[in-house]
Amino acid sequence: MRVEVDRDLCVGSGTCELLAPDVFEVGGDGVVRVLQPGQADEGAVRDAAAQCPTGALGLAD
Amino acid sequence: MTVEAASPAPVDLDALDLSDRDWWAGPPSVRYAAFAALRRERPFAFFAEPELPGIPVGPGCWAVTRYADLDAISSQPALFCSGRGAVSIPDVPADLNEFYGSLISMDDPRHAKIRRIVSKAFTPRVLLDQVRAVVDDVLARARRTAEAQDGVIDVVTDIAAPIPLRVICDMMGVPEDARAGVLAQSTVILSGGDPELIEDENDPVSAFLLAGMELAGLMERLAAERLAHPQADLTTALVTTEVDGERLSSQEIASFFILLLIAGNETTRNAISQGVLALHEHPDQRARWAADPGLDRTAVEELVRWTSPVTWMRRTATRDGEVNGHRFRAGDKFLLLYAAANRDPAVFRDPEVLDLARDPNPHVGFGSKGPHFCLGAHLARRELAVTFRALFDQLPDLEVTGEPNRLRSSFVNGVKRLPARLGGVR
Repeated sequence: MRVEVDRDLCVGSGTCELLAPDVFEVGGDGVVRVLQPGQADEGAVRDAAAQCPTGALGLAD
Repeated sequence: MTVEAASPAPVDLDALDLSDRDWWAGPPSVRYAAFAALRRERPFAFFAEPELPGIPVGPGCWAVTRYADLDAISSQPALFCSGRGAVSIPDVPADLNEFYGSLISMDDPRHAKIRRIVSKAFTPRVLLDQVRAVVDDVLARARRTAEAQDGVIDVVTDIAAPIPLRVICDMMGVPEDARAGVLAQSTVILSGGDPELIEDENDPVSAFLLAGMELAGLMERLAAERLAHPQADLTTALVTTEVDGERLSSQEIASFFILLLIAGNETTRNAISQGVLALHEHPDQRARWAADPGLDRTAVEELVRWTSPVTWMRRTATRDGEVNGHRFRAGDKFLLLYAAANRDPAVFRDPEVLDLARDPNPHVGFGSKGPHFCLGAHLARRELAVTFRALFDQLPDLEVTGEPNRLRSSFVNGVKRLPARLGGVR
């Protein structure tokens, strides 16, 4: 699964970081970074994408 | 009649006046019955605007009470903007709107760029250790206060107010000697014109302005200090970070500073005091949570749903259109009633039941989907989880002894005082 961040939409709300801390971390620039996408817990990542307040996370298989 | 009753008393929607501040200070059961009737019968209900002395009365606004409608409006920020005012129903002069709204009353792309300056500081990872020491100290002081007063304390003054005040002031780098002033000014700015909290009930705008000027003065002092001697605090980030190649203007900085202080204070304060009250009214739920730290996560979400500390935000249509079957014109104002959506039976099973194990709990106590989702959500969650666990462990004998004194404001579901005693103290 590939995770893409729309850098214009992301406001660094940290919702994804809360739900999947091994996969997401808000950077110092206030935009989320994707860590270890390969080892992602797929369910948590799907939750994170669904719950992102700005819809900034895109998933592709 | 309780809110749990199967068939609530009929509500006369034609007589309902959402601009009446006294109605907002009344019993929550009356408000929730009205929200339920609006959701069923008039999901887009048109209301007159509250009068704000010195400001022309506007055309009115649509009160939105269904979860699905809030979601649809909130997640289309280009169609339903915040920049024409999000925290006031009447249009206020543009400079006032920007000054008191800051990010909240701003649209993307500038909103997102400015918000990102502080995003990192409010993420779950960063917040892990900041809260516990403050909570422990506040509760120890509350116990000493009770010991000096025959066991009597006030939940708001002695517990709910100082915790978020100290946490946000630590994050901002506000010195100790300025904190009492921060609390006082922040209370005035979100007083909703409550006559107990401002000098002249007929001139709330002057009181808001004066309080804002006091906080802006504090910011100017701190800004000068931080430019000369940068620290690891949010104030330093505000004065040194560049957006689009430029530093923020001094007015933008002051206004962001004021927003962070106020939003950091008023919301969690009321979630704590209303939460203590809710647990007092539901002793079975309280006992269950106190015995099971595993409930912390869901219990905190349920308290935010239940208390909905911020009752509404406003959006304004940028063009003619239609949302979920409701046609609207450019310039129409929408009041997103989070407190109503949080009890929508289409989304929450038994919404009038406080269930600290509720999961999933897609409440909108931190706002609906969209770029304005609460910046401080993780901080609030952490403050609430740590505070209630510490209350169970350190003040297990805390007992509410009287009625809450409620804020006369539609915007903040506020409690000014909540009398209590510590049973073990004499």
